[in-house]
Amino acid sequence: MTSIFSQIFTVIMMNIRSLPKRFWMSFSATLAISVVVAVLLSFLSMSNGFKKTLEGAGSDKTAIVTRSGSKSELNSVLTNDVVNIITMAPGIAKNADGRPIYSPELYVVVDGIKRTTNTQANLPMRGIASVGFDLRGNVEIVEGRMFESGKNEIIVGTAILREFSGFELGTTVKFGKSEWTVVGIFSTGGSAFESELWADARTLQSQFRRGNSFQTIRVLLEEPGNIDGMLEAVKQDPRLILDVQTEIDYFKEQGEALGGMVTLGWILSIVMSLGALAGALNTMYTSVADRELEIATLRAIGFSNISAFFGTLTESLILSLIGGIIGTVASYLFMDGLTTSTLGGNFTQVAFSFHMSPDLFQNGIILALVIGLVGGFFPALRAARLPVVLAFRGGV
Amino acid sequence: MSDFYLVYKNLTRKKLRFFLTLFAIFIAFLIFGALAAFDKALNAGVELSADNRLISVNKINFTQPLPISYVRKVETIEGIEAVVHFNWFGGYYKDPRQQVLTFAVNPAKLLAVYGDDIAIEEELHNNWLKNQQGLLVGKAIADLYGWKVGDRIPLNSNIFSKRDGSSSWEFDVEGIFTAKFPQADTNNVYIHYKYFNETQSFGGDFIGWMGIKTTDPARNEMVIKTIDEMFVNTPFETETVPEKAFQQSFLAQLGNIGLILSSVVFAAFFIILVIVGFSMVLAIRERTNEIGVMKTLGFSSVRIFKMVLMESFMLIFLGGIIGLFVATFFLGFLNNAPQFPLPDLILSSDIILRAVAVMIILGLITGIIPAVNALRLNIITALSRR
Amino acid sequence: MTDKILYDLRGVSKEFIKGKEKITIFDNLNISINEGDFLAIMGPSGSGKTTLLNLLGGVDKPTDGEIWFDDARVDNLSESQLAKWRANNIGFIFQFYNLMPMLNAERNVELPLLLTRLSSKERKKNVAAALELVDLSDRAKHMTSEMSGGQQQRVAIARAIVSDPKLILCDEPTGDLDRKTADEILSMLQLLNRDFGKTILMVTHDPSAATYAKRTLHLDKGEFIEKDLAA
Repeated sequence: MTSIFSQIFTVIMMNIRSLPKRFWMSFSATLAISVVVAVLLSFLSMSNGFKKTLEGAGSDKTAIVTRSGSKSELNSVLTNDVVNIITMAPGIAKNADGRPIYSPELYVVVDGIKRTTNTQANLPMRGIASVGFDLRGNVEIVEGRMFESGKNEIIVGTAILREFSGFELGTTVKFGKSEWTVVGIFSTGGSAFESELWADARTLQSQFRRGNSFQTIRVLLEEPGNIDGMLEAVKQDPRLILDVQTEIDYFKEQGEALGGMVTLGWILSIVMSLGALAGALNTMYTSVADRELEIATLRAIGFSNISAFFGTLTESLILSLIGGIIGTVASYLFMDGLTTSTLGGNFTQVAFSFHMSPDLFQNGIILALVIGLVGGFFPALRAARLPVVLAFRGGV
Repeated sequence: MSDFYLVYKNLTRKKLRFFLTLFAIFIAFLIFGALAAFDKALNAGVELSADNRLISVNKINFTQPLPISYVRKVETIEGIEAVVHFNWFGGYYKDPRQQVLTFAVNPAKLLAVYGDDIAIEEELHNNWLKNQQGLLVGKAIADLYGWKVGDRIPLNSNIFSKRDGSSSWEFDVEGIFTAKFPQADTNNVYIHYKYFNETQSFGGDFIGWMGIKTTDPARNEMVIKTIDEMFVNTPFETETVPEKAFQQSFLAQLGNIGLILSSVVFAAFFIILVIVGFSMVLAIRERTNEIGVMKTLGFSSVRIFKMVLMESFMLIFLGGIIGLFVATFFLGFLNNAPQFPLPDLILSSDIILRAVAVMIILGLITGIIPAVNALRLNIITALSRR
Repeated sequence: MTDKILYDLRGVSKEFIKGKEKITIFDNLNISINEGDFLAIMGPSGSGKTTLLNLLGGVDKPTDGEIWFDDARVDNLSESQLAKWRANNIGFIFQFYNLMPMLNAERNVELPLLLTRLSSKERKKNVAAALELVDLSDRAKHMTSEMSGGQQQRVAIARAIVSDPKLILCDEPTGDLDRKTADEILSMLQLLNRDFGKTILMVTHDPSAATYAKRTLHLDKGEFIEKDLAA
């Protein structure tokens, strides 16, 4: 008899050629697997997109200073004195005049109307000065102009325009009693900052009665990632009850808000996979039963039982691979780029888009193959163990 | 023996196939039960909101403050039974990640407004009223941290600091309140506004929002109008809404959770539909000869049609009921897990009813094609297929 | 055999349309079967044996002519009426037994009784009597799929007589059995005919099987030639 490999190959080809006969059962298993893969990828791309948006906002050249324990910009309060003291700490980059480069900012929450649900949502409004722009490398005014200091003018991020209604260029928005005019639209390369409204810090302070206090300070670091100087200063000075983090670390923490989504996605997908697995097993057992006579005959001729085993296993793997590819392609077509927004760590909306990436595809295909492997293994065993005598009895 | 017995015997003929399809159905209904209960718990706040309660916040956003003087003014409005004001304390216990939902209130009015939802022993309640440093703890929190009446508990605020520079406040646990019905929230604690306000460093007599109980839901609209008009054109304009609407908009902020959960459940059911459906068609096709024999013996086509449908219903119901059963266990397990932040997950009767409706629909869809095939099967053709 | 005519085919024709061709199986066939008769029908394949059986079993309808059973016309009954008629009047015995594999012997025999209004108790009684007749009472609870061919055919016979039909139709009842077992089965059929007065119609290709019958009809290309028992 020819080598084991050519035996296996022959059996595999026979199995595949006879697939059309078992079309509907095979189809059902493939479809089930593709649905499971699609579900998994939806969750993963959601979390992936959210993370990307937040991480895009963080840089290791910038540090964020907030009040100790506040955990988010919203909760933090920094008086002007504190701002002055901490910005004297070592490690902060200086400008041409030798003065430290920092941006004290305010962060308040205002109401907006979400387009998709037509309900109210919390929107972040940031009080910022032009130095704040410099600290965020990729800010670009795409339409209109920058706001003028001292005026009730705001610029809105592109995501705001997309997800919430009423912020078009030139419109006047009312927050409580104060009115503001939208004078410009800005983009930051897809990061979380695009979900914000920006206004002049001083104007915001007076309109929201914040006196002379801020909420956070963004600081340009001399050395990327090195915040030791500031940490030491905080330790030494009892007046400084502050948390200092690089922007990257800060947003990483914020990004963990949707971490639960990933876990949930995996749990749900695995549970559903069990259901798809039952379908795959059912299909493969039926396939083996259908071809009992054929398999037994091959064995009678002299094909080894290993070839029967691999023939069946390969059939299962092929079906599940097809299912995995269908599921992956379907998720990509429907989900990639889908935009939505949800509550971020600051209790405000963060708009993001679902994002599929190659490693996500990998996850999907692996899941499909695992189902195919387990779903094919036991039926393959059965095929390998079929009594040859069946061939002589003409089947059952 | 009966038709039912015959159907049952047919269903369990191939044990492996029966078990596998049953398992797939079981999985789908397990997911359904769990997610439906989860969705219900999330919406519990909305559903349980009393009709005669309102929330009044700063018009700009509920994170903006309101002057405390507003409370007196609102109390005088006709149609209002009681007003309690809240300040968000931003509390955590020892570690900033161990958040404790803490609200500073005017204690005398808390039960006046929310007494329908929470219950506390009268004596303990009075003790809390008398002690400015008193802490009223919800049962879920008490269970989580093991706090008992008489304990001295430090709570930090991630927003406020004390005049002395620290951000740690000390409280005495005076009482533990329980929920009056299964999904009411006991995941929070209450402290005295006076103690909080007098010791926090920012000063100014501000509150976060007001919780209002009206004498009659019919008066809600009028009360809402009166309150908001009262403060229009002041530096702190208010927006008053029914509690239910407030809770709903809160949930909506999370994004369309309902849609996500429904989509997952739908996907799960679609999978089993496909698997079980094709399996049933195949199973009936394999029995062509037997169906022919039954018809020859005198069983009418209609009777056989019904038997095939009965078979698919039996399969789906069996798998579905087992799935719901296991879901109940699973939910019970989750409910008792210490870190669980939501109100109790229950498979309420409306969830079960929905599940049964789905079972009926699925039974129909998976059974109709094989049943019609069996109905139309011609005896001669059937018997000639050996 | 009595003088009463149980089954009467009058001018029966049966045609099939196969593609563009019209195939005639029978043309103007006339045959009567008396009550208590044991008739064997023999003929080569393609002679129309199966079609005749289908017509007599109410499973097929003639293209022309009339079929009368027990003084009532049956060829113009609806599907569901025919089903009822079969349940009440005919017992079937097939070459490959056609028992339900997932049921045991007594439940297989009980099957036709589900079409009656008998109570569970009464059904059990009739089943026991039928199994007693075919000498399988001790195997009532055994799965038929685990029985020999002869035993399975006996169960089939029990099933065929349990609702006390007027006519028993057999399609190659011994086709799958060895000589000895075949003889046992045929003797049983004879018994049913002689001692219980059952009218039996048996289609067979086995000449020795035909000797058990009272008379034999030969069918060839849709036409009958009667041949009586040799002595």
